[in-house]
Amino acid sequence: MIATSAFVLLVVSLIVQIVHFFRTKKAPDTVSPWLSLVAGALLLIEIIRRSVAIQFIALTGLFESLVFLACLLSLLTFAMHFFRWSAENRILPFGATIIAIIFLALASSPIAPSEVKPPVPALQSGWLILHVSFTFVGEAFFAVGFVSAILQLLTKDKDKSKSYDRTTYTSIAVGYPIFTAGALIFGAIWAEKAWGLWWSWDPKETWALITWLTYTAYLHLRLVRKNTSKLVPALVIIGFFVAMFTFLGVNFLMTGLHSYA
Amino acid sequence: MKSYLDRLYDALRSVKLAIVLLVVLVLFAVAGGVIPQGKPVDFYTTQFGGSISNLIVLLGLNHVFSSLAFLIAAALFAVNLTVCTFHRLTLEIGKPWEKRRHGPDILHVGILILLFGGILTARTRTETILEVQKGQAAALPDGSTLVLTDFDFETYPDGRPKNWVSTVTIGTQTQRQIKVNSPLREHGYSIYQKYWKNETNVILLDPTGMEITLRQGMRQPTMDGFVFFMAVSTDYSSPAQSPGSTSIGSNSLSENNPVFLVEDHNKRLVIKAYEGDKVGPFIYKGRVENSISGLAVVSDKGYPYVVAGFVLVALGVFLTYVQKLKGLVP
Repeated sequence: MIATSAFVLLVVSLIVQIVHFFRTKKAPDTVSPWLSLVAGALLLIEIIRRSVAIQFIALTGLFESLVFLACLLSLLTFAMHFFRWSAENRILPFGATIIAIIFLALASSPIAPSEVKPPVPALQSGWLILHVSFTFVGEAFFAVGFVSAILQLLTKDKDKSKSYDRTTYTSIAVGYPIFTAGALIFGAIWAEKAWGLWWSWDPKETWALITWLTYTAYLHLRLVRKNTSKLVPALVIIGFFVAMFTFLGVNFLMTGLHSYA
Repeated sequence: MKSYLDRLYDALRSVKLAIVLLVVLVLFAVAGGVIPQGKPVDFYTTQFGGSISNLIVLLGLNHVFSSLAFLIAAALFAVNLTVCTFHRLTLEIGKPWEKRRHGPDILHVGILILLFGGILTARTRTETILEVQKGQAAALPDGSTLVLTDFDFETYPDGRPKNWVSTVTIGTQTQRQIKVNSPLREHGYSIYQKYWKNETNVILLDPTGMEITLRQGMRQPTMDGFVFFMAVSTDYSSPAQSPGSTSIGSNSLSENNPVFLVEDHNKRLVIKAYEGDKVGPFIYKGRVENSISGLAVVSDKGYPYVVAGFVLVALGVFLTYVQKLKGLVP
């Protein structure tokens, strides 16, 4: 019910943003960021409610992960407005809102059962919580970078391209260390504590490594090519698709140690 | 005009080479992520058909991460990273302290130490599985004795496992607990709570009336042979007899009865026993269910290097983040 209310608020926020696109008077949109903030707060309440119910931080299933990611994106959308990151373009929060809505739609689908279940022994670890939360915070920034990279590829205006490039780079530069810590370092420490192995070449681990290598390649390519090559933003777009495949695709197409995720 | 050595040095430290190698490693990892790894050749033939499975096996894509091509690419990446780190570090050291940015250097050194630790782990890690019943002892690889003094298995109301806790002593030390996600590090080993299972033990009475407990797979010597506890039968019929053997015991409908192999004067019998039945020179008294704690005893020489690598990588990304963040927000 709480997640559904957040979903409705995000849809309303999206409609408000669309209306603002078509308004002739270029007045700032002061409504949708607050709707996103309330949606994010509601999703946070849902996570806290489930955490109290299972007496553990509710980040151990697909439903909870999707709700957490949507929550982060909603809060990030508000932060873009609050810190004026998106003062020059309105498509960035628009794209982030769409992605948050997609995550919530997936959370309400049969692929993500919402039944509240306390975690089995392997999932009762502080390292798991760090692993999942840091990974998703990193991926929320990757989502912003993804939208910005698409805009960068589509625009023909050099100044706008430069501005989008900066936003893309900022998002990835912030998300990358957080993702590195979460997906690779905390994930490996948890695996060692739970199974006695840092790394097992499990499909989820392999695809997380592919995500990390892709963004590593982006950061190094941007160092060499700056804003002169279409390949630079293209790598960010590829990286986000790989990240989403790691998050969702691996769960449904492959089996491994992360089959409960 | 640069010497060959200088040109080689420049090539090995170049960011372009790093990007090419990263892309190559991505391609290998995608192959390893899409194609199931380490399966028998027949599996690939069934899944992908003859010609594709032949190609997979020929290119080593059935074991990508231990294939020569992947290892060469990874080794080249390590060389590139080493030379690049050395070059960058020497440049940074030449700068005034306040202008130095050592984040990427620490990150790169961390990755190199991580690679070294990973290789050491892969080559030296050993894992021994101990299956111990409550009150029983088991020998660790170094000869010291582990005693399982207690074992708790908690479940949620819906039957799913909640917690497994083994309480152990090693040598003369005080009691310590081993839980899932909370291994015991002792005597240079890490001991993990790997699994839990129930095991059926059978109780036999010898001719003097003394109880002998047998675990499944154990044999008890007798004067003229042995009695071997094979399995617990869940069939409602008596087991098939081995050639030249005869079956002892009732054929009435029952289940969960132990099956023994009895050797007596070189003659072997397979027996499904019921309480009070004669099994060789013994009388089958009954069975008991015991909880078995599965503990993995791991020795890993790469452990401290991997930990040090992680610390440096975390420190490196944090420093890089802090040094860059201020100027990044548009």
